[in-house]
Amino acid sequence: MNLPLLLEFTKRDLVEKYSGSILGMLWTFLWPLVTIFIYVVIFSNIMGSKLPGSSSAMSYSIYLVAGILPWTAFANTISRSAIVFSEKKAIISKIKISLPYLPLYIVLSETVVFIISVVIYLGFVLGSSSPVFAWIIFVPWIYLSHQVFAYALGFLIAIFQVFIRDLREVTGIVLQIWFWFTPIVYTTDILPKGVKEWFAYNPAWIFIKAYHDIFVFGKIPDFYNLMIITAIGHGLLIISYLLYRKLEKGIRDVI
Amino acid sequence: MIKTESLTKTFRLYNSPADILKELLFGKKYHTEFHALKNVSFEVPDGQALGIIGQNGAGKSTLLKILNGVILPDSGTHICDGKTTGLLELGTGFNPEMTGLQNIYMNGLLLGMSREEIDQKKAQMIAFTELGDFITKPLKTYSSGMVMRLAFSVAIHAEPKCFLVDEALSVGDAYFQQKCSRKIKKFRDEGGSIIFVSHDLNAVKILCNQAVLLDHGEVVDQGDPEQVINLYNYMLAKKTEKMDTPVCQAGTSAEGYGNFQAKIVSLRMLNDLGDDVDYFVSGKPTVIEIDLISDIELEDITVGILIRDRFGQDVFGTNTFQLKVPIKLQSGSDCTVRYRIDEFNLGAGKYTLTVAAHSQAVHIDDCYHWIDNVKSFEVLSATDFLSIGLVRLKPEVELICRGAGNSEEVILR
Repeated sequence: MNLPLLLEFTKRDLVEKYSGSILGMLWTFLWPLVTIFIYVVIFSNIMGSKLPGSSSAMSYSIYLVAGILPWTAFANTISRSAIVFSEKKAIISKIKISLPYLPLYIVLSETVVFIISVVIYLGFVLGSSSPVFAWIIFVPWIYLSHQVFAYALGFLIAIFQVFIRDLREVTGIVLQIWFWFTPIVYTTDILPKGVKEWFAYNPAWIFIKAYHDIFVFGKIPDFYNLMIITAIGHGLLIISYLLYRKLEKGIRDVI
Repeated sequence: MIKTESLTKTFRLYNSPADILKELLFGKKYHTEFHALKNVSFEVPDGQALGIIGQNGAGKSTLLKILNGVILPDSGTHICDGKTTGLLELGTGFNPEMTGLQNIYMNGLLLGMSREEIDQKKAQMIAFTELGDFITKPLKTYSSGMVMRLAFSVAIHAEPKCFLVDEALSVGDAYFQQKCSRKIKKFRDEGGSIIFVSHDLNAVKILCNQAVLLDHGEVVDQGDPEQVINLYNYMLAKKTEKMDTPVCQAGTSAEGYGNFQAKIVSLRMLNDLGDDVDYFVSGKPTVIEIDLISDIELEDITVGILIRDRFGQDVFGTNTFQLKVPIKLQSGSDCTVRYRIDEFNLGAGKYTLTVAAHSQAVHIDDCYHWIDNVKSFEVLSATDFLSIGLVRLKPEVELICRGAGNSEEVILR
């Protein structure tokens, strides 16, 4: 699988679902715009939520969206990669195509959506005259670290999903639970003592926290933790690739 | 060049996906094995075509999939020196909402072309499809033949070194089929290797330099297409024999009609070797034998044959009345009518044979027994020269050349 094909897959993924519609590609921008708008308006202006210890009306919205955007990219990459072999069955069963490369178009597509969303988000932040911090330059690295993780995990699930179709549903449910066990909607302050410590073992919390640090608190992210998640991601990558080498024949037979 | 060496492929068949899980967890065997290919070896040099024939389930598709790299063999190797494209993936990745042109890009990229290559060949591809303005319309507005034309055009312009052709060509109208065959032949003559899988035995004969006969995953025969096809037909005939379908049973209304005063009890159609088969070579001697019995004494029996083509059109028919062979039968006696045809000059194709026994010239007065389409058979092209159409006339060609000045004549046979 070559780069032009990968890009074509990505393009199709972004544009295809809107093909035949009047606004077409514009929808790719409209969705994140509307989502962010809703979060900001509802939580800041209607519900008047505020971060504990903050007086800014926008603080909770900024906190919420800073976590939701990377989580969406992360979770979508996993859940969509997990079923990519079933989805692209028509192509895999007819054309020689490298299976490990296939989920990459999902990573790329989610990245495009993420970039668009972050730009819109930054627009809101600036528009509400909240500060944007210089640590934002670390976002690409943080993003890369959790997307490697997401790709590896998604690919790993995809290998099994070929044999066990139920994994599609299981993945969806686990991601749902994972979301609520990660402080995205709420802050860690509301957690009882004893529970909080355990959250340190949640890989998602590591990178979500880094985004919070950058966008909300204006702090430099914790590099040590980010190194850990990068390492875990690559470890997973190796495991899933070795497993794939062992099971490729079976996967292709079943597809 | 395409080369395979002892390709073997076994599929594990599970009753349910859960069985796979159980097997992985407990190590107990939950599958039955299906041997799709056993030790398949062959070689296709550049500029040649190999036909693969065999019954359904013989392993033809599995073989193509392995050559295409879509599935992996259990053991054995296969080499294709260069890009391999299959016509089996006609239209893979087509999106009905997108225009023909947009689909050309996606399909071309999937077939391993670069964007520049597609830009270059776009015009050629579109010209070949003869789609005209439709190329800028969404694919959903196309007829299935048009989609196929687009798909074939992209596949052949992808310029593979090895081309795998499945039954795909059987779609599309006759005009485009011929256009495709010409293109495929050109591809072969320019040095490409072709693997051609088809049930169209004549096409295999015409296109291929050699053929492989697969049966239950094994190579049964390999070599000259004609010889391999003959063996295949023999195998098919044997299979029908085993199924023990009665050719005709006199007296039962399901098998023909008539007053059954005389009954046709059996029928044989023999080739030049005297074997009762379902395929015949055009121009070779052929014999049709019809066995007849009668319970009562009949003075005037006419036995006729009628050959129809696959559309049910009468191609040839005659009877013993016209041939002036009067037949009489004592009560309880029987006879065999043998039509000996020295040159069975039907064109290549599928035909059926209808036989009948009646009185006089036609069956209007006394129809003893009439059986429609009692036998199907196929006529294969002869090897001395190829022809098309229902009949095989045997023209002699004379060539009269005239020089510029003096009238010089040369006659060539």
